[in-house]
Amino acid sequence: MKYWLQRLGMMIALLIAVSMLTFGAMSFLGDPLFNILGPIAGDTENPENVAKVQAAKEQYYLDKPVPERYVRWAGDFITGDFGVQFSTDGQPPVSDLVKERLPRTIQLTVMAQILALGIAIPWGVLSASRANSLTDRASTMTAFGFVSLPQFALGIILLYVFGIKLDLLPDTYNATDPFWGFTHGHRLIQLILPAFTLALPAASTYQRLLRTDLITTLQEDFVLMARAKGMSRRKVLFGHALRPSMFSVLTVFGITAGALIGGALIVETIFRIPGVGLAIVEAILREDFPVVLALVMIVTTAFLVLNVLVDLLYSVLDPRVRR
Amino acid sequence: MAVNTPLLEVENFNVGFKTERGLAKAVDGVSFVLNRGETLGIVGESGSGKSVLNRGIMGLIASSRVVETGSVIFDGVQLANQDRQDLWGKRISMIFQDPMTSLNPVMKIGKQINEPIRKHLGFSKSQATERAIELLTSVGIPEPARRISQYPHEMSGGMRQRVMIAIAMSGEPEMMVADEPTTALDVTVQKYILDLLRQVQLDRGMAMTLITHDLGVARGRTDQIMVMYGGRIMEHAETEALFANMRHPYTEALLASIPRLAHAKHTRLSPIPGAPPDIVEPPPGCRFAPRCRYAQQQCITESPAVIDDNGHRYACFYPVGTDENAEALATNQARGETATGLKIGPAPSKTDNDGENG
Repeated sequence: MKYWLQRLGMMIALLIAVSMLTFGAMSFLGDPLFNILGPIAGDTENPENVAKVQAAKEQYYLDKPVPERYVRWAGDFITGDFGVQFSTDGQPPVSDLVKERLPRTIQLTVMAQILALGIAIPWGVLSASRANSLTDRASTMTAFGFVSLPQFALGIILLYVFGIKLDLLPDTYNATDPFWGFTHGHRLIQLILPAFTLALPAASTYQRLLRTDLITTLQEDFVLMARAKGMSRRKVLFGHALRPSMFSVLTVFGITAGALIGGALIVETIFRIPGVGLAIVEAILREDFPVVLALVMIVTTAFLVLNVLVDLLYSVLDPRVRR
Repeated sequence: MAVNTPLLEVENFNVGFKTERGLAKAVDGVSFVLNRGETLGIVGESGSGKSVLNRGIMGLIASSRVVETGSVIFDGVQLANQDRQDLWGKRISMIFQDPMTSLNPVMKIGKQINEPIRKHLGFSKSQATERAIELLTSVGIPEPARRISQYPHEMSGGMRQRVMIAIAMSGEPEMMVADEPTTALDVTVQKYILDLLRQVQLDRGMAMTLITHDLGVARGRTDQIMVMYGGRIMEHAETEALFANMRHPYTEALLASIPRLAHAKHTRLSPIPGAPPDIVEPPPGCRFAPRCRYAQQQCITESPAVIDDNGHRYACFYPVGTDENAEALATNQARGETATGLKIGPAPSKTDNDGENG
């Protein structure tokens, strides 16, 4: 209990630190008035325009010192009010933008991770159970291939081969299509190629880690013992050796999953998925502080929560780490 | 098969491992017969090949470098170089040396016992759990119904070894291989585990091979004892005959190296000098010659054949208790070293082999 309270305290401290850094950096580096008012923001002569600038400054609290603005923002943020966009009309509110963008990225990430684990586990077990065989060596080559191939190249290759040449899968994403369904007109199917683009390199990394850990586990006495009591090879591999070999995979899983929520930017660009990654980049370029801040905070929270879940899963994998 | 045929007949069995330097002959020309319900003690120091012999018989050596020759007949069926998976746990089971690492750390005790019961006896899950509780009770584990939902780390070493015995018994095998079952345990529980094994073996009429480096452990718990060194049999006899009439210098040295309660306080132990032989290029003569206080020229050049003296087998030119042996020792003591250059003291040390020869 004490441990989890400490964890919670750490999470809150981290979120505050991240928000302060982001808020500070954004405030000192840019001037958002041009996005709000257009070219007149630079006008210092026409009193009408100067008045408009002054009014906008007051409206968006830009005339207040940075610490005060931070406190105001933070107070609103924790009540779920993410503010307005720094654009001409300020619409839609940032929370609406988040509600629109975040589910798309989460759908993509979840699909990619399910695929990655679904590929990596049998693949790693196969490699480890035949360590140094021809199969294993071919696996190693393939895995290194996927890891070293830049993601935009992999994405474009998959898009070209399966989306265009063979025309098996949809090559574009349409945000207005329904999600559940099994035709080209459903986003579930439209996400297959982007998800594979993310999943193949991740699966390759997981496969390498699982293979190494599993080879070590297979040397353990309890594996020989399981064989000696008459369990089949398959049963020993999946029933006895797999679970204690999942720690490295789980750790890296937590890190990749968190990172993916923040920026499947390349994949979102190639497949034209208006998700969080694209939104962050667009917002940074527009100096749209509230949007950047909201998205950074959401990504950070997701990352932290995921890693707490990973820690919980450690104790599911191994009863000895239970507190 | 008829009940009076031996359960296990091992004939000129060799197990080698391919290495860069050549074939490492871990087990070299071993033959023995084990009857149903009997216990064979296999005694030797580390590296003597006793564990490899047993794993070789079971076919449990998971290495592509292993080379097996000779004959292993189990219940009338030739096993050598055959797939023996069908026997594991069901007809031959094994107890491992270290109970701390031989149980799956992330699986509940109950499931680890249930698995072989369900597989070998075809029991349902609830039947298997019932049987698991019976087995745990029979190996002296208190509160078995609670223990089955615990993990290995919640148990002591002695308790874990009892669980291992319960698992080994679960498939109702005809033979059990106990590979140094108490080496990793606290001395206070060693005797309990050994007596439990003996009792289980007698109750169920199982044959057993008990591997140990301690002759004292084998005494009183075995029907016959085989002493191994450098992959070969040095001496093999019925337990009583062996202790009554020890023939091989290695057996003698092995017994002398164990501390005895009968010894006076602060008696120096008598370790066997030197290290086990190189099994890739073993010495041409007797493998024990470089460490033997009786070694003569003949021991260096010729390998002694196994002499069968009414079932008491030994491989030595100067067996202990003979005039030749006394003469050899006198010669060596006179020149201060053996034919292999091993320095020995001039005065005969009387504490070496007393106490246990009666």
